[in-house]
Amino acid sequence: MSRPLLSLLTFLFLSIICNAFSPENPTDRKVLVLLDDLSVKSSHSLYFQSLQSRGYDLDFKLADDPRVALQRYGQYLYDALILFSPTIESLGGSLNAAAILDFVDSGHDLILAADASASDLIREIATECGVDFDEDQAAMVIDHTSFAVSDTEGDHTLIAGDNFIQSDVILGKEKIKAPVLFKGIGHSVNPANSLVLKVLSASPAAYSANPKSKLSTPPTLTGSAIGLVSVVQARNNARILISGSLSMFSNRFFRSGVQKAGSTINHGRSGNEQFVTEISKWVFHERGHLKAVNVRHHKVGEADEPSIYRINDELEYSLEIYEWSGTSWEPYVADDVQVQFYMMSPYVLKTMSTDQKGIYYTSFKVPDVYGVFQFKVEYKKLGVTSLSLAKQIPVRPFRHNEYERFITAAFPYYGASFSMMGGFFIFSLVYLYHK
Amino acid sequence: MMKVLGFLVLLALSSALTCEAAIFKPISHSHRSAALELFTPADGSFKSFEEAYEALRTFEVLGIKKQPDQRADTCASVVDTLSSPSSALKDLFQALRVNGLLNCELNKKAFAGIVPRLKDAVKIASSLLDSYYSVGSLVLIKGLSSDVDVHLESADSVFRAIKALGQSDGRWRYSSNNPESSTYAAGIAFESLAGVISLASSEIDQSLISMVKNDISKLLGGLEKYDDGAYYFDEKLVDAQGHQGPLAASSAVVCGITSFATVSAENLNLPGDKILGLARFFLGIGVPGNAKDLYYQVEALASLENNRVSMPLILSLPTNVLSLTRKDPLKVNVNTVLGAAAPSLTVKLKQIFSSGSKDSSVIDQDLKFDHKNAVHYLDALPKDIDVGSYVFTFEVVLHDSEHRMIYATGGRTKVPIHITGVIKVNNAEISALDSDLGNVETRKKLDLAGENSVCLSANHLQKLRLSFQLTSPLGHALKPHQAFLKLTHESKLEHIFVVHNSGKQFEIILDFLGLVEKFFYLSGRYDIELTVGDAVMENSFLQPLGSVELDLPEPPEKAALPPPLVVDPSSRFGPKEEIAHIFRAPEKRPPRNLSYAFLALVLLPFVGFLVGLLRLGVNLKNFPTSAPATFAILFHLAIAAVLSLYFLFWLKLNLFITLKALGFLGIFLLFVGHRTLSHLASTSAKLKSA
Repeated sequence: MSRPLLSLLTFLFLSIICNAFSPENPTDRKVLVLLDDLSVKSSHSLYFQSLQSRGYDLDFKLADDPRVALQRYGQYLYDALILFSPTIESLGGSLNAAAILDFVDSGHDLILAADASASDLIREIATECGVDFDEDQAAMVIDHTSFAVSDTEGDHTLIAGDNFIQSDVILGKEKIKAPVLFKGIGHSVNPANSLVLKVLSASPAAYSANPKSKLSTPPTLTGSAIGLVSVVQARNNARILISGSLSMFSNRFFRSGVQKAGSTINHGRSGNEQFVTEISKWVFHERGHLKAVNVRHHKVGEADEPSIYRINDELEYSLEIYEWSGTSWEPYVADDVQVQFYMMSPYVLKTMSTDQKGIYYTSFKVPDVYGVFQFKVEYKKLGVTSLSLAKQIPVRPFRHNEYERFITAAFPYYGASFSMMGGFFIFSLVYLYHK
Repeated sequence: MMKVLGFLVLLALSSALTCEAAIFKPISHSHRSAALELFTPADGSFKSFEEAYEALRTFEVLGIKKQPDQRADTCASVVDTLSSPSSALKDLFQALRVNGLLNCELNKKAFAGIVPRLKDAVKIASSLLDSYYSVGSLVLIKGLSSDVDVHLESADSVFRAIKALGQSDGRWRYSSNNPESSTYAAGIAFESLAGVISLASSEIDQSLISMVKNDISKLLGGLEKYDDGAYYFDEKLVDAQGHQGPLAASSAVVCGITSFATVSAENLNLPGDKILGLARFFLGIGVPGNAKDLYYQVEALASLENNRVSMPLILSLPTNVLSLTRKDPLKVNVNTVLGAAAPSLTVKLKQIFSSGSKDSSVIDQDLKFDHKNAVHYLDALPKDIDVGSYVFTFEVVLHDSEHRMIYATGGRTKVPIHITGVIKVNNAEISALDSDLGNVETRKKLDLAGENSVCLSANHLQKLRLSFQLTSPLGHALKPHQAFLKLTHESKLEHIFVVHNSGKQFEIILDFLGLVEKFFYLSGRYDIELTVGDAVMENSFLQPLGSVELDLPEPPEKAALPPPLVVDPSSRFGPKEEIAHIFRAPEKRPPRNLSYAFLALVLLPFVGFLVGLLRLGVNLKNFPTSAPATFAILFHLAIAAVLSLYFLFWLKLNLFITLKALGFLGIFLLFVGHRTLSHLASTSAKLKSA
């Protein structure tokens, strides 16, 4: 009796595994949404619907629900986490900042939205991800020159942001025409951190301060250095979105029109929906997730991969790169994939040609230095998962009999030797038998 | 608790600066488009009667004319349900409700079968929901046909049975064996009681009605309040059905109270401010993103709109941001919650608070009414109102004294208003000063409205002085929230200073001697930028002023290093420069012909040797004959073989083969050589001796 049950369980387990995040199927499937309260589910329903319609299984929980858990028996229950609970001081269950960071460290994705009332916990998680929110708890991003004209908001904290990062991978091919409404807190990113990217920055005239109190000292965050929305792509390709505004995702901002101050163009709808949808496609690996397969190299004119190369050999190197489109692997088309022939430092660095169908190839001559080399592909592009391939290959010098045998310059010496030999032969005859 | 917090967040979205002053707008077009979006079933038909009712009811209240295509289907299933004798009470009730909206053609006989069943159900009902469904169904049937007798003979006992579930704090239990009480249930109970009253064949005992009246006032006493004047009913009991949050509870209670008030023909003395507060709560939610929430909101607002006890009037402003420069008139709309026109009334502007200061100016001014646009307006703002943020207090006074009983206006309404204007900027100048004496070295006038590109130079002993004046439209001083001077070094290092003012005059003096450390001793060109902005300033600006060439001293050894600069992310990515290996150049060789020439030269002595031999007339007469000749021939052949072996070694053989072959040849050579040479030696010895 137990055997059918066991096989059923195995089947169920396998089917769960198949649906979950895997290197072969990198889009997230199960997403945990933690909310301050369930009314956010209704007020931000358009955003959640757009995720659900793309096939995500959203599990809504209150952030302080004692039953909330990210993993059970060492297995993660979710592929991604949406943290829409800016005010939460401590999470329910065994969840804490460290658990969330472990979740990210194990390659899972995170969307975090803060607000003017962001708690220390949320700030801590953001800081660990390399995004520092303004330390002044009452501060908001204020912009007196590029605010959104509004009938109800007169303090210029509703910002019409259009300072986007230039990246098709992150924001999609279609240009975001209408500005994005933003009301919340700003952050700065550490310039030394190469993993964090500001996707939406404030205008040069913006600053982050408490709108209700007079300023006596300069604000810590000013101008375009203020990040409004940032993304992080960790070394393990986990992706994180950090926004200083929760209302950016709300139905109200999705539906609202926007007119930027000083501009006469009145957009019927803000760019929020497009911006937020496109960026969540990126965060959930529907775009810009690459894999490299079929790495091959061989001598020109041969087909098999040798175990060793000789200096000055001509070789051909090729690999195939595919991009995950959310449902299938599509050939990746780019013109900046480079291969290095590397020993301590690159000896050869070459941009590969492509056939536009995912195959990248090149050929070059092995340097006249012997040792243990590596074929290295270090592909780092804005927004795309980084590819890092290395394949070791030794290079030997010429064998003793592989050098040139008949050197023209040496012909006089050869000639001298052989004439000497001929002379010796004749002389020996003459000397012995002359009478 | 959590949900309450959530609504607070929602309200905070639409509320503005001051806590008490907030903006609520009646139902608008955005609700209609949201309703069409939310209530359009994905697969063409409604999943349940409940869903169908919620959709149809919302459309009806919002005045959406779109007749859903599902009418035929839905009506068919309504008829099915009503004619089936085994339908559950709940289904009957929901089907009747849907029918009430769709007016399906129903068979009168069907009612005859249902009514006795419902009447029995009313009598034996043990739980609140059973009573609610059966009483509700009877009320709906009563509305449909007059020839069916739906009157309850034992209305008093039914009334008592429902009342028995009521708790002392005004809330209700779902059934007698469920100890938990809920506010949502109270709403349902009031509606059921209202139904019982309307179905009663004889007058209900007045004392029972006054008991319920008492319950209602107790329940209203437990209303929770937000800072912005919105009231709501909290729901402690959250059951498995979900949707039982404060919104559902408040909506149910409002519907219950209004229907009870309608049938009981008694003045319930509902406090106007609480009714208005409830209306504000429902409006403050904005447009819900969930069908259920939208239904609750719309249903509650509809019952507030249509009750005859206390109709809330909502005062709203088309815009809270008024421009003093454009002379925007102050406009106020007064509507019912669903956006219908209010009765004739006067809006009075009572008080104006200046935010940031406690003092207020008391004004008692009536707003004019524009009949065409149904807007109350004030042509000109009071004379002493300058740019700034204010809280205006309005009062709504109804003309008709009868209306005063019906409409709830909520006394004074506080509304935050931002008055903006163009700020005059003048007398702007920038100058470099000598440190000690304050002598002006260079002074440049600036036009902050246009383009500027001044070029100054200074060293660390000098000062930079920037001054300008800001004047509000009424000639007062204005201290903008943002008045920053920014110096940007060539290396993109920024320094920001706040410009302070005394009255209208803004001035900043940068003493470079005190700033060298802050500037990290970086000499060079600094771009100057001035940003002046405020929420009430219509011409906020960010102006590049030009640049100053600073000559700062060399940094001492222990000076702090400038912080790392922000790197453009695109520079970190992108392809690297290609690297090609430089191969070792092949060694230089003489030209081919030269080698051949030298080869010929080298072969020349050999030729000379041969010619010499011929000239000397060499012969081989001493060659042995007979048997030794074989050895001599073999000897010379062996020598020739060794020499050819050398040739072959040069041509292709390697050392190992060569040495092996040479070994064999050598032994052979030794043998034949010995024989040959010994023969030659013996012949020559014979010759000598002879």
